[in-house]
Amino acid sequence: MRTLWRRRGEGPWPWLAAGSVALSLLMLLALLLLLAIRGLGHFWPAEVALVALQDGQPFAGVAVREEQIPGEETRERLYFTGNRDLDGDRWRWVEVSAIADIRHPAELVVLQRSRWGEFHGRLVAVTGGGEHHTGEAAWPALQARLSELDVLRDERDRLRDDVVVPLVRRLDNAGNLADADFRAALAAANARIRELQSAMGDDILILESVDGRRIEQPLDLVLRAWRPNAMSPLDKLGAWAGGVWLFLSEGPRAANSAGGVWPAIFGTVLMVLLMSLVVTPFGVLAGIYLNEVAHQGPLTRLVRIGVRNLAGVPAIVYGVFGLGVFVYGIGGTLDEWFFSESLPSPTFGTGGLLWASLTLALLTLPVVIVATEEGLARVPDHQREGALALGATRMEMLTRVVLPMTLPAMLTGMILAVARAAGEVAPLMLVGVAKLAPQVPVDGDFPFLHLERKFMHLGYHIYDAAFHGDDVQAAMPLVFATALLLVLVILVLNLTAIFLRHHLRARHGAPSRW
Amino acid sequence: MSFFTSSSAAGGPIIDFAAAESSLEIAGLSLAYGEKPALRDLTLRIPRHRVTAFIGPSGCGKSTLLRALNRLHDLNEEVVRRGEIRLEGQDIHAPQVDVAELRRRVGMVFQAPNPFPMSIYDNVAFGLRLQGGMRKREMDDTVEWALHSAALWEEVKDRLRASAWTLSGGQQQRLVIARTLAVQPEVLLLDEPASALDPISTLKIEELIRNLKSRLSLVLVTHNMQQAARVSDYTAFLQQGELVEYGPTQTLFTNPRLRRTENYITGRMI
Amino acid sequence: MDISSDIHSQHISRQFNQELEELKTHLMAMGGLVEKQVQDAVTALLEGDSALGRQVVENDRAVNDMQIKIDAECTQVLARRQPTASDLRLVLAVIRAGSDLERIGDEASKIARNACELIDGDNGSRGFVEVRMISEHVRRMVRDALTSFARFDTELALKLVHEDEQVDNEYQSAMRSLMTFMMEDARSISPVLSLMWILRALERIGDHANNLAEYVVYLVKGMDIRHTDPEDLDAEAISRRD
Repeated sequence: MRTLWRRRGEGPWPWLAAGSVALSLLMLLALLLLLAIRGLGHFWPAEVALVALQDGQPFAGVAVREEQIPGEETRERLYFTGNRDLDGDRWRWVEVSAIADIRHPAELVVLQRSRWGEFHGRLVAVTGGGEHHTGEAAWPALQARLSELDVLRDERDRLRDDVVVPLVRRLDNAGNLADADFRAALAAANARIRELQSAMGDDILILESVDGRRIEQPLDLVLRAWRPNAMSPLDKLGAWAGGVWLFLSEGPRAANSAGGVWPAIFGTVLMVLLMSLVVTPFGVLAGIYLNEVAHQGPLTRLVRIGVRNLAGVPAIVYGVFGLGVFVYGIGGTLDEWFFSESLPSPTFGTGGLLWASLTLALLTLPVVIVATEEGLARVPDHQREGALALGATRMEMLTRVVLPMTLPAMLTGMILAVARAAGEVAPLMLVGVAKLAPQVPVDGDFPFLHLERKFMHLGYHIYDAAFHGDDVQAAMPLVFATALLLVLVILVLNLTAIFLRHHLRARHGAPSRW
Repeated sequence: MSFFTSSSAAGGPIIDFAAAESSLEIAGLSLAYGEKPALRDLTLRIPRHRVTAFIGPSGCGKSTLLRALNRLHDLNEEVVRRGEIRLEGQDIHAPQVDVAELRRRVGMVFQAPNPFPMSIYDNVAFGLRLQGGMRKREMDDTVEWALHSAALWEEVKDRLRASAWTLSGGQQQRLVIARTLAVQPEVLLLDEPASALDPISTLKIEELIRNLKSRLSLVLVTHNMQQAARVSDYTAFLQQGELVEYGPTQTLFTNPRLRRTENYITGRMI
Repeated sequence: MDISSDIHSQHISRQFNQELEELKTHLMAMGGLVEKQVQDAVTALLEGDSALGRQVVENDRAVNDMQIKIDAECTQVLARRQPTASDLRLVLAVIRAGSDLERIGDEASKIARNACELIDGDNGSRGFVEVRMISEHVRRMVRDALTSFARFDTELALKLVHEDEQVDNEYQSAMRSLMTFMMEDARSISPVLSLMWILRALERIGDHANNLAEYVVYLVKGMDIRHTDPEDLDAEAISRRD
């Protein structure tokens, strides 16, 4: 018999439950923090140290990390020194005990170059356009020329992307353009580009590394320049913001180890949108059929079990299926029928945006079907009967009463589909993603959306940069930054759908939870 | 029928209406859910412009009978049906019958109020929009008329765009009645319409039922004997799928013909 | 549909059964008291027992109280149980029967009062024969009415309806002979008048017993035969009525 004095309370269960939630949140937070710090920190202009070693050799570099040498007492520090064209390597391990002196001179300059990567050292002189600046005047002159160059470079890039490349695509097999106007335009564009090129090619920089070696650097290959040790925190913040912006808006450079990920962002979002467009109608219609129309016998049950099992098939299997059926099967047939003049170069018979979207649509189809079915099952029978009792046909009952009530559940299905698809990389490798495809599949050229093109994908970009770059060290911060970006992209897509669902629920007057 | 000077064969315990004065005719209706019989060979006529109540213990088939009248059993594949039901002389199961149109003419109100998750206006206009072809002005007028008929207009006229779920239970049920009335049915079936409501709302619904009599034929299923006695003109007592007694309410509740009816009405065990 | 007298004890609600049984019991008790009142009143007259007569008058109060109590119980049952069919008819019959029994009690009390006057006046026993005959008849009627109520016996009840005619006839002849007597002997006006009141009261008691019988038919058969001429009543049809 229980006594009256037993201590009241629910025991450990609330604590366990709350603790689990707290733990999950903490892990999520830790993940985001790690990504943010390692990724975003990359864009912060780090100070360049001028290191003098015991044996007298100086070098300039940014300290990256320290490690304990296994089996010994001393520690090693890794410096990013740049100057690949001078030193043969961009990194340098130095024993801490061998360091004699570390200073941060203000005049040390960092240049970002489109060839050979970064340069650490001093600016000696700027020549070009008949002018020659040295000493104190060199740095401001460099800044000025760089901004002028940016304008020219923008125009050249725009000409190339908007005029030359599309026209080049239209070249027939003999290398000629059919239309006289196009030929004229191409010639004019080429001429202008040559003009710009020569205008840019004028300037030369004289650079000196901290150990005294000099090089001549053509200015048109320099992207940005800054003096980190002379920058105030506000300047650094501005530079950081600029770096982040460039990361988001530029294309990749140096075999994906530098530059931005804009094409990958675009490609990911575009593919996810296309996939949603395909999977939603099919999934919803299938769910409606299974739940509302089909006779609920053993066959329907079998189909339902099959659908749920499809959700567990590994993604790479879908990739193989997509490759076999979509790419080689349907794509090959399409090529034979419609693009035979381009063969043997495949148009649709190879991986591309369309096949990737379709493959992922297949992957997420079970999720959407199940979510729709669950939503439909939650619509109470008395609502259906109420509609029928007013003289509605089955169709009208479905479209006017049941489906509006199911919309939140269907959106949930879509959210889950998007979340799954945006993160899958394995199948994409087989059906359409490219290591490098700086041309996004949407441009001003008819038919505006090019479904046969390969595209870049954030997830694949991470994989490629982390494992296939030749300079993994340099790529690592970008990998983290890209991972953070991927998480944020999925988050934004999900939040959009969640807001939409909440709005829909509120409109129907039903109680809604976030 | 006189019991004074001549002995006449007293009519059986089931009143017979002329076909001309009945709205619905049920002839030899038997219904089963798969193997389980629910209705056994029912034959009765529902008079026009009157309230007819079905009473009986749980499982006696009164709700089953009601739902057969607007072919709601079509949704259930298990149901096996024999016999005929005629609305104004036409067989409702004839192949050329438009079921949706039938259900417009024979409206139904359910036990638990089931307004759609839409505004009050949209609920009432739902059936009108199904018919189509109505201009906004006309629709507004019809909605107002329907809400008046259901004795709900005064309470909701200022918030027609509010969600129907903000109304109380009794108001929701009247809203459901309003939306059913909006499509101008000939018959109104009510399946325990007030059993989920508080006493005041119940009385309002009963008052409404009485007022609707002039325009429609009403069939009411209820397990509340007093309600059947208050509201209906004719009462049918069903037991285990059979029609036991069917006659004027005032007679059935003061002097029923059959012992079974008497026992049920007075709450006896035998 | 015939109902049997035990039908009111078969409800699912035992309390309801109890309430209805108590109604019947109390009514029977009142009926028994009223029967005795009639008997005592007549005895008081015929045997010249004025003390008995005064007791009858006193006891009428108890009869009235019983009617009030029965009425109150019936009201309760109506309000709380909303009875239908035979239960409803029972309650209505009990209310009406109570009213008639109370009237019988009043009439008995009247007989007793007049008896006391006659006894005090010491005016002989003229007319006692008629009184004895009618009173026997009427007392039997009351007893039969109560029995038919207790047993739900419509045949017995219907017989009573016809008997009331006889009582009326006897009353008429008795009144005629007393009138004659009154006209012969002027000194006898006062006592004869008293006797006439007594006879009148007895006749009324017969009417009330008749009413009780009609209530029994209503209760058992659901037929309201008040105000129907006895000749028009087809007893067989009624008995056969399901």
